[in-house]
Amino acid sequence: MDRNQITKWLKAPAKMANKYSLHAIYFCTGCGIIEVPPVITARWDAERFGVIPVATPRQANLFLITGYVSVKTLRAIIRTYEQMYEPKYTVGFGSCPINGGMYWDSYNTIKHLDKYIPIDGWIAGCMPRPEAIFIAVTHLWTLIDKEMANGYIRYRENYNSYRRNQELALGKLDWPPLFPVSDEPQGNEQ
Amino acid sequence: MVVKIIQIILSPILALVVGVFFLGLARKIMARIHWRYGPPLIQPVIDMVKLFCQKSVSHGFMFDLGLILSLAGSIVVVLFLPLGGIAPLSGSGGLLVILYIMLFAPLGMALSGGQGANPNISIGISRKLILSLGYEVPLLLVLLAVMTRYKTISIVEVVSAQQSTAWSFISFPLFLSGLSYFLIFPAILGIRPFDTASAPQEISSGPMVEYGGKYLALATIEHAFILFISIALFVNLFLGGAANPVIFFVKMLAVFVLGLYINAVFPRFRIEQAVKYLWKWPTLLAFLGLIINLAMRS
Amino acid sequence: MSLEILLIIAFGGALLTYLLGKASEKTRDFVAVIISLSMVAFVVCLYGKSPEQTFYSGFLGLDLVLRLNMLSWFFAVTIAVIGALSVIYSLSYIKTREKTDFYFLMTLLVNAAMLGIVLAGDLVSFYIFWEIMSWSAFLLISYNKGSALAAGMKYIIMSIIGSVCFLVGMLSLYVSFDTLNISQIASAMTSASPGHILFILTAFCIAFGIKNAVLPFHTWLPDAHSEAPAPFSAVLSGILIKMGTYGFLLLLYVIVGLKLFLGLGRGLLSFHFILCLLGAVTILIPTFIAMLQNDAKKLLAWSTVGQAGYIILGIAFGTNLALAGGIFHFFNHAMFKALLFFAVGAVEFRAQTRDLDSLGGLAKKMPVCFIATLVGICALIGVPLTSGFVSKWLIYRTLILEGSPFLAFFALAGTWGTILYSYKLVHNVFLGQLPEKYKDIQKSPASMQLPIIVLSLAILLFGILPGIPLKVINTIGTSFGFETLNVTLWGITSETGTLNTINIFSALLVAGIIVWIVFRLGAKSVSVPQEDSYAAGAHTPADKYHYTAEFYNPFYRMIKPFLRDVIDEFYYWIASSVRSLAGNVRRIYSGDVGYYVMYIIFFLAALIFVQMRWKIW
Repeated sequence: MDRNQITKWLKAPAKMANKYSLHAIYFCTGCGIIEVPPVITARWDAERFGVIPVATPRQANLFLITGYVSVKTLRAIIRTYEQMYEPKYTVGFGSCPINGGMYWDSYNTIKHLDKYIPIDGWIAGCMPRPEAIFIAVTHLWTLIDKEMANGYIRYRENYNSYRRNQELALGKLDWPPLFPVSDEPQGNEQ
Repeated sequence: MVVKIIQIILSPILALVVGVFFLGLARKIMARIHWRYGPPLIQPVIDMVKLFCQKSVSHGFMFDLGLILSLAGSIVVVLFLPLGGIAPLSGSGGLLVILYIMLFAPLGMALSGGQGANPNISIGISRKLILSLGYEVPLLLVLLAVMTRYKTISIVEVVSAQQSTAWSFISFPLFLSGLSYFLIFPAILGIRPFDTASAPQEISSGPMVEYGGKYLALATIEHAFILFISIALFVNLFLGGAANPVIFFVKMLAVFVLGLYINAVFPRFRIEQAVKYLWKWPTLLAFLGLIINLAMRS
Repeated sequence: MSLEILLIIAFGGALLTYLLGKASEKTRDFVAVIISLSMVAFVVCLYGKSPEQTFYSGFLGLDLVLRLNMLSWFFAVTIAVIGALSVIYSLSYIKTREKTDFYFLMTLLVNAAMLGIVLAGDLVSFYIFWEIMSWSAFLLISYNKGSALAAGMKYIIMSIIGSVCFLVGMLSLYVSFDTLNISQIASAMTSASPGHILFILTAFCIAFGIKNAVLPFHTWLPDAHSEAPAPFSAVLSGILIKMGTYGFLLLLYVIVGLKLFLGLGRGLLSFHFILCLLGAVTILIPTFIAMLQNDAKKLLAWSTVGQAGYIILGIAFGTNLALAGGIFHFFNHAMFKALLFFAVGAVEFRAQTRDLDSLGGLAKKMPVCFIATLVGICALIGVPLTSGFVSKWLIYRTLILEGSPFLAFFALAGTWGTILYSYKLVHNVFLGQLPEKYKDIQKSPASMQLPIIVLSLAILLFGILPGIPLKVINTIGTSFGFETLNVTLWGITSETGTLNTINIFSALLVAGIIVWIVFRLGAKSVSVPQEDSYAAGAHTPADKYHYTAEFYNPFYRMIKPFLRDVIDEFYYWIASSVRSLAGNVRRIYSGDVGYYVMYIIFFLAALIFVQMRWKIW
């Protein structure tokens, strides 16, 4: 942890601040949320890394998708993700967002979450232990250092395909597009 | 003249530094009370750097302006408070002007939040205003007792009177007022058990639900200033102020840590429970203090 | 320019307007505005002069006198200006109603009668103009039919009770001193006994207290002010109430004189203390009730009751600064209450409703009204930079320094209550989300915007340079026998600290600029529509996502039992006692001739007994 290296702060303060002040939104997606309270309270203290939960997406820049994503939850996830401010990072927690996990043949869950919102990193497991959240956070720091945690930039640049995937999964969307959409058909971008 | 200008520039900066330090200290001490390690002491600074670099969303002109107004009001209040020897604008009206400019802070937040058009904001503001009505009643009685006892409305004179005799907190009739002020102290700071105005779990941070990025940074700075102002007022009026800033900050630290202990132990009151509490025992004590002061004076 | 011609033009102008209205509307509007503006001009030209003339001798053996001194001039200028602004405002407000000629006649008549009151030099002409004012106000309050009729009835009954008390006081003065000229009574009062002074004071204070809505007598005000048409509500709240204030000033400082007033009774039981206490309670309780109102104009009406308490407290307290604060607060309150009523009236004119639960988000659609309401609210609360701050600061200073912390507590707690209800007004009407049905609302018409803009500028001007009205008030204070205050253009300097609004203003400006610079240093912010708000991941509802209904509901639940079981019960008790008393008196008419003969014989016997014992005749 290079939080106390002043020269790095002076050279790139925005990057260092983004690393050491990750505010996670209090969004309890699926069954994995049970692993989060011990992390943010006294058992495994996440506050020493700068990670605290906040109540509203306007104040958050880390989104933990902890568990399976049903179609109904996907609407809420997309709206919450769009209401967060840039730069923002998403971590998929558990096997279900990666490839459907335990619910790989269910009619009501989303199998590949990356098609609908950009994910920066995955933690596999069903459920991973709470310490895995720390692994996710430290890996996210490495990615931010190397400027590879650019999910939000991908979202902005490929918003057409993300929006089309969302429409395919959810039907007509009742919120306006976040970035300007063009109408020409494009290939299915991954 | 030059000294005055230096003092005018120095005191808000000092207030900012001490306020932010108190915010970090609060998180550290709460963590230690919870038997965990807690963030480093400069965590609020890291948070604010990140917030200033984050893009944000604005709901209109009033949204920005209200927040700026509220923060400007708090800075001006700091100029009127003596900080252990540094007292830039202290001759212009004293305690009454402070009471008046202190109401810019919730008013500015309220005007800015009204533009957000979110029921969480409106509920939060209505709770905040009702809570301020709740603690203003005993606070006014306490301040009037102090003004009656020392026969002045200037804080500098109150401080110098205490330094020649004894602290107000341990002198007979004002001891009741001091106790009453200490009982309403968490309500003024907005910490548990009175943090119902910005309850994260109930109303999604109340008035700050739409604040992010630089707005949240300014709101955090505002919170730091309010912390500073309330504690400094208490130290000046009841704990004798101080002759130099270092002792002043030591006293502020002691008061703040006591407040944190209360914050760590109590749950949150509902708003009507809070107002009923504030209008019962603290008001009674402050009222008694005022009556005894009046009787002793005549 | 003599005073009789002023009054003749005022009254004649009212009549002329009515007659011209039968002919054509445009000339009527034009003439009404010209008459009102000429009143303003005449009064302003009379500054500094003090004529006194008898204009009619021989009315029941009494002279009717008109006179002008600095106190009358100050009140007259306020009446003329607010009256003129209200007439300009009504040009578009009344256009769509029927009986507009009647409305203009009554408005001009009320303004003329109020000018007559402040110019009156003896009690008979005072009473005549007082009655003309009350009756024309009653007719105007009942102008919108429906519930306004009941409100007007409540007003006129209480006003008549006040007038009867006034008559009682007046007759007692005539019997003792054989004259009703105010200056002659003032010099003769020094020889009156304390009991007599107490009786006079009580009689007149009831009369003026009913008009000024001091606490036990305030019940007519909320209904009357909310049901009257908006420009007349402004006149009612702004200046008609203050005729009671003028009466108090005349009574306490001119007729009775400060020494005699302060010498009545002693300690807590003195008349002076009871009047201050009534003023203090009038500040506190109506302010709390105003927080619970759902009707915009009723909220402002309860606020008027509260602010009138400040004025009474200032006047009754009896020191130099308190008197200056009270009179200055009268002037300020006229300006900002008229401004608020004008703004709310414009909203009512466009949106056809005053219900605070259903309005919202009108800030962008009616920006002039929004900014005016903001300025009015800041003045009402007493934010530094507006004139309300100066007047309230004077009252607080003197209450604290003269050693009455309980009264100071009432005054300061009233300010916090004011913050709550003012915010409710601004939030529920102007801030927040615009409901669907008001998407096409238009801005207020130009003739409504003009008085609003004029009053906002005046509030800001007198807030930054309070020395202009304070100089006049200082003259009034010295004419009552106080020593003079040091008034500069920026404020008052006295030996215990200065009020320097320019200090505070510049500090706020500099701090605001610094914060703004820091604000701009942050990352750029994107403007989003109001619907893009946090709703826990769901879509915000289309019509209304803005919380306005029952805004202070927790507080309401806390004090509703108190209001219902204590205060309402008190007034019901008074009403039922009066009814049962009247019922018992009715039993005299038993219908049996034998009883009536017995009454006559007993009465004759009592008269004979009195003559034999005390030999009166």
